[in-house]
Amino acid sequence: MRKSHPVRRAVLATAATVSGIVLLLSLKPASDPGSAAAGGAVPPAAAQSPQGGAQPIGNGTVTGDAAQTQYGAVQVRLTVSGGKITEAEAVRAPRGGQSDRITSDAVPRLNQAAVAAQSAEIDAVSGATYTSAGYKESLQSALDKARAAGSAGAPGAAGSGQGPGSARARTVTGDAAQTQYGPVQVRITVDGGKITEAEAVRAPRGGQSDRITSDAVPRLNQAAVAAQSAEIDAVSGATYTSAGYRQSLQSALDRAGG
Amino acid sequence: MTTTLAGGRAARRQTMRRIRPRRSPAVPLLLAVGAGAAAVLWLWWTSTPSIADTTGRIVAAGRITGLLAGYLMALVVLQMARVPALERRVGSDRVARWHATSGRYTVCLVVAHVFLIMWGYALQAGKSLGDIVQQTVASVTTLPDMGKAAVGTGLLFVIALLSVGPVRRRLPYDGWYHVHLLTYAAVYLTFWHQITTGNEFAVEPSAKTFWYGLYGTVTALVLWYRVITPIRLNLRHRMRVEAVIEETPGIVSVLIGGRRLHRMGAEAGQFFRWRFLAPGMRFSSHPYSLSAAPRPDMLRITVKAIGDHSSRLRELEPGTRVWAEGPYGALTAQRRSRGKVLLVAGGVGITPMRALFETLPGASGDITLLYRANSTQDLALWDELAKIADERGARLMYAVNSPDGERPDISADSLRRKIPDIDHHDVFLCGPPGFAQSVYDALRGAGVPARRIHHESFEM
Repeated sequence: MRKSHPVRRAVLATAATVSGIVLLLSLKPASDPGSAAAGGAVPPAAAQSPQGGAQPIGNGTVTGDAAQTQYGAVQVRLTVSGGKITEAEAVRAPRGGQSDRITSDAVPRLNQAAVAAQSAEIDAVSGATYTSAGYKESLQSALDKARAAGSAGAPGAAGSGQGPGSARARTVTGDAAQTQYGPVQVRITVDGGKITEAEAVRAPRGGQSDRITSDAVPRLNQAAVAAQSAEIDAVSGATYTSAGYRQSLQSALDRAGG
Repeated sequence: MTTTLAGGRAARRQTMRRIRPRRSPAVPLLLAVGAGAAAVLWLWWTSTPSIADTTGRIVAAGRITGLLAGYLMALVVLQMARVPALERRVGSDRVARWHATSGRYTVCLVVAHVFLIMWGYALQAGKSLGDIVQQTVASVTTLPDMGKAAVGTGLLFVIALLSVGPVRRRLPYDGWYHVHLLTYAAVYLTFWHQITTGNEFAVEPSAKTFWYGLYGTVTALVLWYRVITPIRLNLRHRMRVEAVIEETPGIVSVLIGGRRLHRMGAEAGQFFRWRFLAPGMRFSSHPYSLSAAPRPDMLRITVKAIGDHSSRLRELEPGTRVWAEGPYGALTAQRRSRGKVLLVAGGVGITPMRALFETLPGASGDITLLYRANSTQDLALWDELAKIADERGARLMYAVNSPDGERPDISADSLRRKIPDIDHHDVFLCGPPGFAQSVYDALRGAGVPARRIHHESFEM
């Protein structure tokens, strides 16, 4: 028969529960570690081959990269015909709880807006700010892919097969690479088969990471343009960010066909 | 009457067969519960890709507390499903304490869940903490199954309030008990919103299966052990009151006859929950220990008239139908690990001790009973105890207040003086809370290890 100390037990239970939950929350990264995997897994099926031809936008369906929002991923699939967006739909959208209602309300309106605007310049649906932002991001990526496919002009060279020999400058965004401090994602501008510009659209943030990112990323950008490849040196003191940068840069180069 | 009730050799042999001490499954069960909780947290972990900001953290904390509350709620109900492994191996008293503790904890989780989720949703909608009530109303009215969940949660809070110590003590037991049964309704009502609005269940279909499995299993166990098993038991044994005997002023024995009562599997030291189908008594069921080893045609309980119910037992007419549920309780010979046994009884706590005193296997001199009462007149069942002691060569001691009201000395020293090898005994202890605590401390002081002090207490 143990003597029970109800107060002490209550304090212990509360402390254990609160610290457990805080620990779980703090272990969760600020953005999606699954996005690299999911993004990497999607393209083969998603960037389905347009039918070729010389249209500025290839025919067929194109799926944009998944955009992470705090409520979950948004991913847009476009059906393109005759250079026009004939249909837009969200293959992924936030779900669960409150999100179900918001998604079912906002997504159809965003779909209509996308078809009407024929671009990613659509207004956010009020009450669904995050979902709208994610939708626009994924829509932009789908449009980029469709344009790339269209301008590549070669049948079967859709999505991942566009060559850097395109006459126009264009931007290609690599997959997000996960590092232990957060994702790194690189966008390159390719003109005449050359990398003319490199920038990190995502990089580790918060605390110490802010300083390291602001120091390392510009140097990595320069290095990428100088090297014209992913063979760049790591910035000392930013080993993980450098590794992630190189990985995402390589994926962008792969997409650009370089 | 006493001679017929001394169950004798047959009962003793039955107990003898089961002397192998069995470990309580408490530790593996608690490990399983912990593993389940870890699985629930893992479910949250895998279905949450990332958390962007403070709002996301608040919502995530709300989801974690909600998932844990949903998981524990099923276990809180399971603890009261009267599953034999819990009632007879872990012990009804211990399981009841688990139930109370985990119930309190679960209600706290529900409060945290409601507050955090609604706060988070308010922030998501661009409002502030101050709009939490408005947000709650909006969520309850617009989200699926949230109306049901709100009613269920309200019910749960009422039940929880009525179970807080000081409130509960002021309520009549039966009224409190029947309100407490509404927990089933509350659990049913709150179940559905977990499935329909829970992010984890939307994202992960196998989680839904797991949840249905958990709640389905608990429902099946409750139906089987709380409804079907008692019906079968009572249809088979058809118990009736045979006689009511006044043992001492204020303590009565009720003899209960029926068919093939030895087949109920009851052991000395166990109890049943009794419901006497007499006017004014049929709606309350009370736990009373058997005060003699069960015989094929007769059970006996001995009860002190302290409450409404127990006082009315005196007026029971022979022939009154009896509805019993059980046997429950783990204070049986199975707990024993040593050859020598000391039984300590305080007041009406003698009832299970009397049954054990008669049936615990042991050679002459192995069994000792120490019986504490206010006065020699209050030593209920003394004559039969003396007779058993005589027959078995067991030791029987009593401790009563002196005529001037001085309390007898039950301390480590006095125990060691009376029973020099007390630290080689298993001790079975039953009595009122204060008495049990002081004897426990004395026993520990006299060198009896805690694992060999077997005690049942229904304090919360």
